[in-house]
Amino acid sequence: MEDILVPIAVVGMLFIGLPWVILYHITKWRTASSLTREDEDLLDALNDTARRLEERLMTVERIIAADHPDFTPHRGASQPDAAPLSRSY
Amino acid sequence: MSASRTKFYLDKQNAKWSGVCSGLADYTGIDVTWVRVGAIVLTIMGGFPWTLIAYFVAAWLADPKPRGLYESAEDAKFWQGVRANPSRSTREVRSRFRDIDRRLSDIEVYYTSSNSRLAREIDALRDPAK
Repeated sequence: MEDILVPIAVVGMLFIGLPWVILYHITKWRTASSLTREDEDLLDALNDTARRLEERLMTVERIIAADHPDFTPHRGASQPDAAPLSRSY
Repeated sequence: MSASRTKFYLDKQNAKWSGVCSGLADYTGIDVTWVRVGAIVLTIMGGFPWTLIAYFVAAWLADPKPRGLYESAEDAKFWQGVRANPSRSTREVRSRFRDIDRRLSDIEVYYTSSNSRLAREIDALRDPAK
């Protein structure tokens, strides 16, 4: 009996289980990365704007900190501590 | 802005053969060496004709990566994150904007409070003149 059951189970796993798992992950991946062209351009623009705003804000904070010693810019965790003007962020 | 950054491209600049492995590495952010080792191991471990067929199909279907697709390495990394998980990248961008907002409001509070102090001093100077 086992001589028949084991090959059937193996064949079933190979030809049904494996494609199932692969297709499941492909569909999941497809739905996860359904980013349209407009979304992509928008995200690009937003990312670019955020980067430029951060740079400008950093400059402004440094200028204010230089003018008013009692002003301490609230630095986030992502920024390393006080660097001179040549900073590549 | 012309080329899509969520497509799979052949990376001809770092190619060993057709650029499929380096393209895959560029797409996912995995190191090229690991992709190549994985492809070779997969070929040896019984995927013999299929991996080669997949390789040539990918090389035939995909376009070479346009030059200057990313402005910087940071940009390339950001788009790797987008390809892996767009919603997480969107949340990251949102949190960056919130951080900017918070820091700007700090500046605003600082200036409005110091300016009101300045205004009071000006008023105090003006009062005796009246």
